[in-house]
Amino acid sequence: MSHLFDHHGAENTGYSQPPALTTKKKASVPNGLMRKSPARWPRLSEPEMVRHFTWLSKRNFGIDTGFYPLGSCTMKHNPRVNEVIAQLPGIADIHPHLPEHHLQGLLSIYYEMQHMLEICAGMDQVTLQPVAGAQGEFTAVRCIQEYFRLRGEDQRTKVIVPDSAHGTNPASAAMAGFEIVEIPSRADGRIDLDALAAVADETTAAMMITNPNTLGLFEADISAASAIVHEAGGQMYYDGANFNAILGITSPGLMGFDAVHFNLHKTFSQPHGGGGPGSGPIGVKAHLAPFLPGPLAARREATAEERGQAVDEHWYHWLEPEHSIGKVQQWHGNAGAVIRCWAYYRRYGNGLTTMSEHAVLNANYLRHAIHREAKRIGVDHLFVDGAETEVAKHEFTLSMQPAKEALGISAMDVAKGLLDRGYMAPTVYFPLVVPECMMIEPTETESKDTLDTFAKHFVEVLTCDPEVLHEAPVTTPVRRVDEVYAARNLCLRHPFDDA
Amino acid sequence: MVDQLPNRGRELEMLNEMGFESIEDLFADIPADVRFKGELPLRGPQSEEEIISDARRLLGANLAMGQRPAFLGAGLYRNYVPASVFQLVTRGEFLTAYTPYQPEVSQGMLQAMWEFQTLISELVGLPIANLSLYDGSTAAAEALTCAVRVHTRKASQPNTVYISALTPPDKQSVMFNYCQGAEIEIRTIEHHEDGSLDLESLAKAAGSCGVYLEQPNPLGVLDENLVQVKDIIGENTALIVGVQPVSLGVVEAPGHYGADIVVGEGQPLGSPVTGGGPLYGIFACTQPYLRLMPGRIVGRSIDVDGNEAYCLTLSTREQHIRRHRATSNICTNETLIALMGAMHMALLGPDGLRELAERNLQACQAAKEALQATPGVRLVHDTAHFNEFAIAVPGSSTACLAFLDANGITGGFDLSTWYPEQKDRILVTTTDQTSLADIEALSAQLALWSTHQEVNA
Repeated sequence: MSHLFDHHGAENTGYSQPPALTTKKKASVPNGLMRKSPARWPRLSEPEMVRHFTWLSKRNFGIDTGFYPLGSCTMKHNPRVNEVIAQLPGIADIHPHLPEHHLQGLLSIYYEMQHMLEICAGMDQVTLQPVAGAQGEFTAVRCIQEYFRLRGEDQRTKVIVPDSAHGTNPASAAMAGFEIVEIPSRADGRIDLDALAAVADETTAAMMITNPNTLGLFEADISAASAIVHEAGGQMYYDGANFNAILGITSPGLMGFDAVHFNLHKTFSQPHGGGGPGSGPIGVKAHLAPFLPGPLAARREATAEERGQAVDEHWYHWLEPEHSIGKVQQWHGNAGAVIRCWAYYRRYGNGLTTMSEHAVLNANYLRHAIHREAKRIGVDHLFVDGAETEVAKHEFTLSMQPAKEALGISAMDVAKGLLDRGYMAPTVYFPLVVPECMMIEPTETESKDTLDTFAKHFVEVLTCDPEVLHEAPVTTPVRRVDEVYAARNLCLRHPFDDA
Repeated sequence: MVDQLPNRGRELEMLNEMGFESIEDLFADIPADVRFKGELPLRGPQSEEEIISDARRLLGANLAMGQRPAFLGAGLYRNYVPASVFQLVTRGEFLTAYTPYQPEVSQGMLQAMWEFQTLISELVGLPIANLSLYDGSTAAAEALTCAVRVHTRKASQPNTVYISALTPPDKQSVMFNYCQGAEIEIRTIEHHEDGSLDLESLAKAAGSCGVYLEQPNPLGVLDENLVQVKDIIGENTALIVGVQPVSLGVVEAPGHYGADIVVGEGQPLGSPVTGGGPLYGIFACTQPYLRLMPGRIVGRSIDVDGNEAYCLTLSTREQHIRRHRATSNICTNETLIALMGAMHMALLGPDGLRELAERNLQACQAAKEALQATPGVRLVHDTAHFNEFAIAVPGSSTACLAFLDANGITGGFDLSTWYPEQKDRILVTTTDQTSLADIEALSAQLALWSTHQEVNA
């Protein structure tokens, strides 16, 4: 083990700094504000610091380490050129408050990204300000709220979500002050139009839904659902978490949605960084555009004078929407993430459709391969599809309920068994509507060979002695972690000896 | 031709094995009336070399702050981030991981975040820190809603919080958006002419749920009055202090003068300014706020063999379990940027942080001395400052900044943007990257500007 707080070696500091500027009078902090005792931080030389964090990195699993089929998270390869670009001083060392003529490059990239996302989503206006998917949801719901307030429809206080929705949907709508109405899914995992029709009324502000849904199924009745909500005067909100399945094939606009968020870190490969940063732009139809957070990137033809500083024939500028809800982040969003995703988009251009086709091809192939391998070794009775379907989209679910009943092997056991075989585990126990659920999303950047090998390993886990499997994982840096112990014996920071 | 798809050329083989004939079969479940017709009207794909060439050209059209003297801050601070931080953070095991839901294979990031929590906790003087929110503004906004959740039942001013009137409007806007859903009213507290907090104005906040103040304040003023705030507002009103974390190398930790929650923009520790994001929001608190706080938190535990192990804990506050009753909707946060912060903090150590803070303090002092001696320029607040200070210039601040810009200097932040009635004020920001030559250039150009104004007057 290496512990940061065990290091007291380096004299003074691990990082030598140039001398401070000399002044006539030495600067000082008012007496009553002077720090009395320094933070008990460790003292490491650079070699010790580098070794500590390198050691930690070796105890962490990323896409670079191996296959990462974490459903709903779209863990695709992160091209490294995007990292190189994000470190260029023209993005890393720019301040958002610089005047527009010093930000023409950033503005043009923002404009290009807004425009591209508008086309892909079938929306009229995109803002890049929200910094994560959940914040995008919140932002869009706020825009819908102000839209209705301006129209005098204050009675629209409810947001409808299916029971299979991501937890962020109800959380975001509740944060904006809406009451949540949850509707059950049908037995086949799809939206229940009757249940929707029963709750959609003059109090409905919006319905939030993702399509393909969290079971990886395309909601073929989506237009009918949109019609029901619109008929009741509500707005349709598209959760873009699963956008990787449909890019260039269909769009939220075509399905009748009024607003959508994108998870750029999923679909456009901003590295997930162990939990963030992300980027969660939203797109809306024209009637919601005046409410978007500002500023948006806009452009007009450049004047002869401006040509010298312009990056093309346009002059780019910020634009404040008329009834803007204001800000959800203090600056212009996660610009560094937007730049990476711009580089990713440029890689594909109009070939983005191929990206989605391969994401869906891989998901269906993996589903097929797992069933094939299970039949081959005779364990196909131990799991069933989370939902019956001819084809899945970018992800699919399996229910381990039969294994649980027959052998006491849970979805969690299978997950831990996969860790021992060198994989990240799929998402488990989500969506809640599938018992003992495993949600598997391979993404388009995995090879057929990887998928075949994973399928073999997946079913091999089911042949394990359940007692042995309960003990998994055994090859990982630590074995099963006691989460109950963690919650009962809260230790949220290093316990200094005197504490 | 896109080079990111390993199964190009194997489509048919895979499809046939599944009993399909074309990719189209996989999309048969999507009704025709919602299908895209034709090709996406977008540009063609590019190679890596073409992309990087375009990126260099476009981003090269932006003005990097390092290209010339720059005094723009106002919430973001251009500090030097050591090379080792960038080298380490791009290790694929960190970069390409996601939320550590499987702790057995995520010990590296979990332990790093637990160490981050400890570093922040020690820095701000509070026992608990989470593993980051989006940025300083959302951390401040979530602190307000958290304070209301904790205090509103006993408050004589329920659902009410107070913030410094100097709080930048963009940050106030974020606060409003986060608070309006819970019907929280945000009121303001005034400051004296010298920039210090008006303690009489503060008195009206007693009995409310929380008070949000910044140290240094948004005009760079180090304000001794904050030390008295907790005694005035009392036990049942949260004192929330927003900090510039580097300042805490020399300035007292708010936890040591009564703060219940400390938030801040983490960026100066570990991250470049990056056009305003990604950044990371610091959120730390005392015990009573723990179970109602937003964001993820890592706990140290044991594995089945009794060995030390780390995992996410207190997750029942979060959206994936609590859904609409969660303390926040946050899911993806800013872990990787927080990791950069942890690396920078670890490398600095306590002495290095003090040294860094002193360099920032001295740079500010050097600029104040130079501008005090610059004809026509007046320092607005005759107090101690960290990083930045307000000046008044002859004529309009907007015109003055345009003049400086035309003469090769990014002069500072136009305070008329925040406070429209202040037409002649500029916020001048210095950091450890500010040189005496930069300051001399600013002073010389401001002197020139003043002369021009006199001539024209």
